[in-house]
Amino acid sequence: MSAKTVRLLVGTKKGLYQIQSDADRKKWTLLEGSYGAPAPIHHASYDPRDGSMYAAINSTWGGSRIEYSRDMGKTWTVSKNPSFPQGSDRTFYQTWHVEPGHAKTPNVIWAGTEPAALWKSLDRGETWELNQALDDQPSRKEWVPGFGGMGLHSIAIDAADPNKMQVGISVGGVYTTNDGGASWTRDNTQVGAPNPTSGETPRPDVFGCIHKLLAHPRVSGVRFMRVHLEVYWRDPGETTWTYRTTGLPTHFGFAAAIHPRDPKTAWCIPLHDTKRTAEDGIAVYKTTDKGATWTRHDQGLPKGAPLESLREGMDNDEFDDVGLYFGTANGDVYASRDEGKSWERIAQYLPYVTSVHAATLE
Amino acid sequence: MSSAAPTRQRGVKVLLHGAWRSFAGGAKEVTLEASTLREALDALAERHPSLKERLRDEHGKLRPHLALFVNDEDARLLGWENARLREGDIVHVIPALSGG
Repeated sequence: MSAKTVRLLVGTKKGLYQIQSDADRKKWTLLEGSYGAPAPIHHASYDPRDGSMYAAINSTWGGSRIEYSRDMGKTWTVSKNPSFPQGSDRTFYQTWHVEPGHAKTPNVIWAGTEPAALWKSLDRGETWELNQALDDQPSRKEWVPGFGGMGLHSIAIDAADPNKMQVGISVGGVYTTNDGGASWTRDNTQVGAPNPTSGETPRPDVFGCIHKLLAHPRVSGVRFMRVHLEVYWRDPGETTWTYRTTGLPTHFGFAAAIHPRDPKTAWCIPLHDTKRTAEDGIAVYKTTDKGATWTRHDQGLPKGAPLESLREGMDNDEFDDVGLYFGTANGDVYASRDEGKSWERIAQYLPYVTSVHAATLE
Repeated sequence: MSSAAPTRQRGVKVLLHGAWRSFAGGAKEVTLEASTLREALDALAERHPSLKERLRDEHGKLRPHLALFVNDEDARLLGWENARLREGDIVHVIPALSGG
């Protein structure tokens, strides 16, 4: 059996880059050549079930497209575009996320797009079918664009049951299905969030602005959610979202990751809510108690640097200790081999990093 | 018999520039039959199916940032897709640039 390594798929505003580790995750090599430039790559992902890669290439020329690779990124093939039905007032604009399906559904891939919609592929990303049940939600008329547009970006598939999943929409909130997408219910009930000091009612619009929603990959029912100005946790069996923001230096942020084995551990990168950069220097905050407390980690990160990491900017590998990775708007990629305690820069001078996906290869 | 329908011409050459070549698998030029620019684009997409979704969105609308010239003339000044083509015309398909 060969040693494990990590391949990072780094989406930028000008193309997709790949960075390969050695078995110790100490030496990192930026593989020659980028792909797709000058198109921005909102997200790229690796499917451990069959080794495919997927890239959301949102091009100015020729329209946006999803491409897939069956040879570890050496060559790419264009999918047939997600396509709104004839008569729809919407046109596929760009892809925000491509999520490989559950191990029990081997050929299924999901994609989230702008305009906000969920798409399912039954043929490993070659063609895409609109999830009509979500599209038919009466509450869809309440969805509005966030700062970056109106997209469906989070697709959180339950660890045990592929029929159970959530999607996160900016700005449209969370929807849950328990039947594989045949029906959906709004899922935005929060507990523990403080009422605004102004005496106003809590802002449902803010809760609707989901920034990142993650399902634990091994423990059914565990969810970690990064919302516009809060983070929330959900334990198995719960149907509400528990406010877990206390202890973070600022409440805004995008990047988030959840531990691949421990169902109580997660990470996020807080940002200032209007500047959109790290207020006291870039740092990763870690919880080991489901968000009840948070610990700052910045060893190895540039002190005081007002960096920014976006929605898809952070991911983890499957090693023990878990490796964490995040990219920044100024083109850096940072890595941690010790579950976030210490960091080193493994790439710099890339274009603006929009996404980092860590593929653990064996 | 009505004579309203345009007469189909032969020998229209379509030149692909920049990103449009890669969308067509590296093809640089295509010779086809068409009497209007719309017919030329349809024939081009038939010849290179990978261009179909790159030229038009799912509702059939030509995508933005696409510049089309007939010989030296901007097709927008010639009626855009309705621009009439003649024997020997050259259609340029160009990735349009904008911004600073």
